[in-house]
Amino acid sequence: MTALLLSCLILVALYALYIAARVARIGAAPETFLDAGGTLPGWSVIFLLPGLAMTALGVERHLGLVARFGLQASHVAVGIVLLAMAALLIWNRLWFAARIAGLGSPGAALGQFYGSITLRIAVLILALLFALPFAADVLSFAAALLETATQGLLPRAAGAWLLAIALTIPAIVGGWRGTVLTLAMLSLSLLALLPGVTVLTELTAAERGFPVMPIVVADGILWDRLPGVVRYIGGVGKHVPQEGIFTAVAVSSSALALLGLVLSPPALYLGQTLRAGRSFGVASVWLTGGLTAGLVVLCGPVLAGRLSGGVPALAAALHEAEPLAGTALFLLLLLPVLLAVSFLVTGGALIWTRELVVAYLFPGLAPEAQRFAARVAIAFTFFFMAFMASFLPLTSAVLASVALPLSVQLLPALLGLAFFRWIGRGAVLAGLTLGCLIVVFTEPLGLILFEGLFVDLPWGRWPLGIHSAAWGLVFNLLLVLLSATVTQRAPDRFQRDRLHDALLAATGLRVGGRGLLWALALLWGFFAYGPGAILGNTFFSDPIFAPGPAAALGVPSLWVWQILFWLLGVVLVWWLAYRLGFGRTSEDRIKPITLGEAPGLRVPDWLAAGVARVTGRGTLPAGPVEAPRRRAARR
Amino acid sequence: MASQDMTDRLDRHALVMAIWTPAVFAAAALLHRGVLVGGAWWIAAGFAALLLAFAGHVIANTVLGTGFTPGETALGLAVFAAALGALLLSALVGPDGIGADVYLALGLGFAALVVAVVAYLVIAHGPRRAFEKFDVIRDNNARRASRLPHRGGRR
Repeated sequence: MTALLLSCLILVALYALYIAARVARIGAAPETFLDAGGTLPGWSVIFLLPGLAMTALGVERHLGLVARFGLQASHVAVGIVLLAMAALLIWNRLWFAARIAGLGSPGAALGQFYGSITLRIAVLILALLFALPFAADVLSFAAALLETATQGLLPRAAGAWLLAIALTIPAIVGGWRGTVLTLAMLSLSLLALLPGVTVLTELTAAERGFPVMPIVVADGILWDRLPGVVRYIGGVGKHVPQEGIFTAVAVSSSALALLGLVLSPPALYLGQTLRAGRSFGVASVWLTGGLTAGLVVLCGPVLAGRLSGGVPALAAALHEAEPLAGTALFLLLLLPVLLAVSFLVTGGALIWTRELVVAYLFPGLAPEAQRFAARVAIAFTFFFMAFMASFLPLTSAVLASVALPLSVQLLPALLGLAFFRWIGRGAVLAGLTLGCLIVVFTEPLGLILFEGLFVDLPWGRWPLGIHSAAWGLVFNLLLVLLSATVTQRAPDRFQRDRLHDALLAATGLRVGGRGLLWALALLWGFFAYGPGAILGNTFFSDPIFAPGPAAALGVPSLWVWQILFWLLGVVLVWWLAYRLGFGRTSEDRIKPITLGEAPGLRVPDWLAAGVARVTGRGTLPAGPVEAPRRRAARR
Repeated sequence: MASQDMTDRLDRHALVMAIWTPAVFAAAALLHRGVLVGGAWWIAAGFAALLLAFAGHVIANTVLGTGFTPGETALGLAVFAAALGALLLSALVGPDGIGADVYLALGLGFAALVVAVVAYLVIAHGPRRAFEKFDVIRDNNARRASRLPHRGGRR
């Protein structure tokens, strides 16, 4: 299996190099190296968004959790529909903002829209978090898996460096376009591998698996149901409930954390650099909300049920039946990692080049020099990432744990840019600061630091089983709402109104006044992965409206519930994409504007004059108060 | 400097590669399994993967308003001929009994590929124009007058 697996990985590397070389040979303008000229083909995001969704979920981690906790862990997969909705809504608006106001990168979009350097820096820090520790953490896992698969032939550190080099060279040669075109193929391969490996496993297995047989878990774990709505217990590290950790609120908060990847700076950048068309709709409705979520909901438990002996044991069994099937299992676990590393590191390095080097350090940089700077940035970022993956795996893991939840804290800022003009800079910054603090102190990073320096904190990771992303976002949104009420007439409102008016003119989309849609969306969320999901435990096996147990379905009730709400979720995303029109982008009605500094508040003349008279100093306004004096002087 | 046309062609090429790469991997695994265990259904699934990729390629062509490039046509024909030749050679000169269980399934699979290509040509171009694509004798008159409409409008 070693030779076959390594051959496949070498073929993937050669494929990436081939595409990158083809991109380089068309002789495009040097500056397009950084952003593909804003003309990435629509099909690239159609294929790539499912891969990003699977990366956010973490195929290996998800299968491992389902193998350990059963269907309660598998319920998180319904959150992929939520991810598709978020990508659809935010990417669409950001795409228009990029074309209307020339806000070509996420930092520029948020920084210029809110007139805040802090937000630019926040985006850069997030991009760095994803490019270094997050990517290093997943690469470290991939290298460890490769070591296992090759029976020690390729040690973990060597594997990490080899994989990093294989991804670095195509990125340096092909830039953003080359990277995205290659990753689209990897993502499509993932969509083929997940059902393929599942079907092959079932067809070649000697014994029947899930759903005929239950998923084998430890004693006491409720494998076929959610263990309640919420547990009033400390977080991970303090107390792990015997029935399992995936309560309804744990599921909903984990689903919320999935949004971190589509709200990450490289993912937003991907949305901004696409060509106009219908790709957002196809990507979010059919490929991500439909196919990917369905595949993970359907195939996840089936495949996880075979993983009780671990990945190497299943791969060996598959290899015995068909050598390429064993390799396919390892590829299923390795390809999302390669996708994440290549996407996040290349995207992060390009964003840093645009936001820092080109915008601030060397503003007049020639296009060729910009491309060179981007190549150097990519090389250095890959080097440091591989260094962290090889020699600092623990540090990477601790830092990586905050990347997704911190990214989710950008949501209010993005909502303000996309939909709610009443969210101002002060509100966003206050909420972001509080949200980030709460995330850090409900993740290992803050807990280790604080408990090492001072005293033990009473809560562990994810208190009450609620993901840190949700803890941060709740307080973040609360503070944003409170702050927004008192900053309605802030000086930056003028610029925000201009962009929102231009957005409305370009898209013709009004999100308000759709009461039925938003009510249905909330209702769906409540039942799909919110507290209402608890009803799914017995809804189809022991209905509450029937006198006794229903006829045996042959499958767990919770699994049917998940499938049902996945399908209903697809309808919702379809509504957003096609009925409301978020699935389409067009440059036809765009009227470009230039966002500038907001004019300061003008002090009312009567107030200024009054203050001047009382204090006897200061300048009187050159308005009606000044005019009689000038007339007197002329006389 | 690259024109938009060159970029579009590159994007289309990458799309075609993205469609065929996973399909070829899946087909290789399924056909290998089929040949190993002599299972006709495995072989059918392998050819189905190839047909699915072909359908994807045709859809990509339709959406992008393009057709099969000469390189793609040549590569497809060469691979098909090589695979068919290998099958025939193994039947003729291989040891007795080799692959006896799978010849029928493989033969039907190859036939299905041919039928799919012919069906595509007929649907996309119509029977007459599909035939004209192979009608080299009709095009052997190099005189310009042969292209005039009242002389048949050749080429």
